[in-house]
Amino acid sequence: MSTSTSTPAAPPGARRSDGPRLSFARVLRSEWIKVTTVPSTVILLACTLVVMVGLAALASWSLQTGQAQLDSGGPPPQMGPPGEPLPDFSDLARGTPSSGIIFGQLLIASLAVVLIASEWATGMIRSTMVAVPKRVPALLAKNVIVAAVSFLIGAAAALLSYVVAQPILAVEDLDFALSDDKIVASIVNTGTYLALIAVISMGIGTLLRNTAGGVVTAVGLFFVLPVIVVNLISGLADWIPDASRFLPTNAGEQLVAVVAEEGALTQLEGGLVMAAWAVVLLVASLLVTRRRDI
Amino acid sequence: MIEAQGLFKRYGDKTAVNGISFTVHPGKVTGFLGPNGAGKSTTMRMIVGLDTPSAGSVSVNGRRYAEHQAPLREVGALLEAKAFHTKRSAYNHLRAMAATHGIPNSRVHEVIEMTGLGPVAKKRVGGFSMGMGQRLGIAVAMLGDPQTVILDEPVNGLDPEGVQWIRHLARGLAAEGRTVFLSSHLMSEMAMTADHLIVIGRGRIIADAPVSEIIAGRGQLRTRVRTDRPSELLAALGGDGTTSTFLEPDVLEITGPDPRRIAEAALRQQVLVYELTPLQASLEEAYMELTASEVEYSSHDLPLGAQAQDVPEGSRS
Repeated sequence: MSTSTSTPAAPPGARRSDGPRLSFARVLRSEWIKVTTVPSTVILLACTLVVMVGLAALASWSLQTGQAQLDSGGPPPQMGPPGEPLPDFSDLARGTPSSGIIFGQLLIASLAVVLIASEWATGMIRSTMVAVPKRVPALLAKNVIVAAVSFLIGAAAALLSYVVAQPILAVEDLDFALSDDKIVASIVNTGTYLALIAVISMGIGTLLRNTAGGVVTAVGLFFVLPVIVVNLISGLADWIPDASRFLPTNAGEQLVAVVAEEGALTQLEGGLVMAAWAVVLLVASLLVTRRRDI
Repeated sequence: MIEAQGLFKRYGDKTAVNGISFTVHPGKVTGFLGPNGAGKSTTMRMIVGLDTPSAGSVSVNGRRYAEHQAPLREVGALLEAKAFHTKRSAYNHLRAMAATHGIPNSRVHEVIEMTGLGPVAKKRVGGFSMGMGQRLGIAVAMLGDPQTVILDEPVNGLDPEGVQWIRHLARGLAAEGRTVFLSSHLMSEMAMTADHLIVIGRGRIIADAPVSEIIAGRGQLRTRVRTDRPSELLAALGGDGTTSTFLEPDVLEITGPDPRRIAEAALRQQVLVYELTPLQASLEEAYMELTASEVEYSSHDLPLGAQAQDVPEGSRS
């Protein structure tokens, strides 16, 4: 063990002209290293991919079975809410590439909350903010990384889902081409959807600085609130179901939808609403982090 | 060079740092000494911008820490042990820190070697002992080859070899002309390492002077004397300004006269003296004296430390 530093101090003027100093690209690289060097993150990302593709395969299998039942003149299968007319199976089939979102968003939301909240839980945040004392670049870089990774995972999962689903759907002639209307957009937007989920969740995690609280809040916003609106409080006032279209996951659904629902937001509107959620939470988390003590 | 001016930090209605001003100069080791909860850590956190001062300012090498283009090259800081993600390896933690400044990987390997982390570098930080965590913290602090080094309680949890290593490291860095600012509540450690002391208590600076001056200014001359006939020797010394305590039946600690006067008295009285050791006033005693008076000034408050101790923890996190 040596007892002194290996590099002697150079004269102050000479060492600052170039060489090591902060830059956003470098902070990005640092955040990328952080994401890839904690095993649980990598495992969670791999799980997300597998689960999403698996769900899509199951969904297409379920469609194929339902179609077969119909063809053989059996009782119509239970797809969707009871009492409603049976939806068009070929329309449903086109939704399979993005069907993994249902579960994928839960994993991505947890990941995004954990990535930031665990820094507070472990004390890592102090190292991060001493290295990047302006704080905003560090947080921004973390958001960029988690959004990019979520986008890639989402889009890759949707594309893989498409590939896996085709042979299953083909049994009942429900298969479709990539070049069909809105299919590529749905696949790409599966990535966009997860990226926005990630940014919203990271904003929540940054504001709460707590893993459990952050995950619960994100789940509440994404899953519980829409259900509450539909099942419990939609009768209270006319505007409530109307307003619920603007909840992040409800708006996001339109982003990946292949068939536009009546009265729903358009694809672009859905995307913009969800993006607005992301921007508001991101800006709030940046402002708060700049002000608060670490 | 660290310059603090009128630095205040309040957490709610508690004042952790109460308007302190000081300068830490390059080329020597400056010790930051005070009991737990005196405001040492809070001050150090303000230097690197983790806490925002309620009032006043602190600059490093002429600027606020956050305004530097390469903060890690200006200041290397070990603040609290374990500012690391527990699931990441030491090597990857260092890599991630280095990446923010584009510090090459070769430097990462250098600081791993320097801190003796080689054998555990690829292991998860979560399994590290406190001493290992401390070494990793120091490795991070040294990454940017910084001009100013801030170490908060660096010897905490280190084994004797590690303690000695820190001492050499701090002295070596200062000898290279760097600014070294080192906090501790271990007075003995400071006596060995620091050149200059800033003593803090209850968020206020009590003393800011070279170590030798603080020791010289406090405490009196004491001498340990071993003799067969202590009472005769004491009688020969006379009463004026002499106090004594028996350490053992034949060992005395005499305060007041210098060793030469004691020897002369023994010679006059024909008393055999077979040990005569001048005892330097320890920094510890000087420190106790300093902080004791600080307690007296506020005798209606809680005892020193008890009140302020919980302040940083309670209002952070």
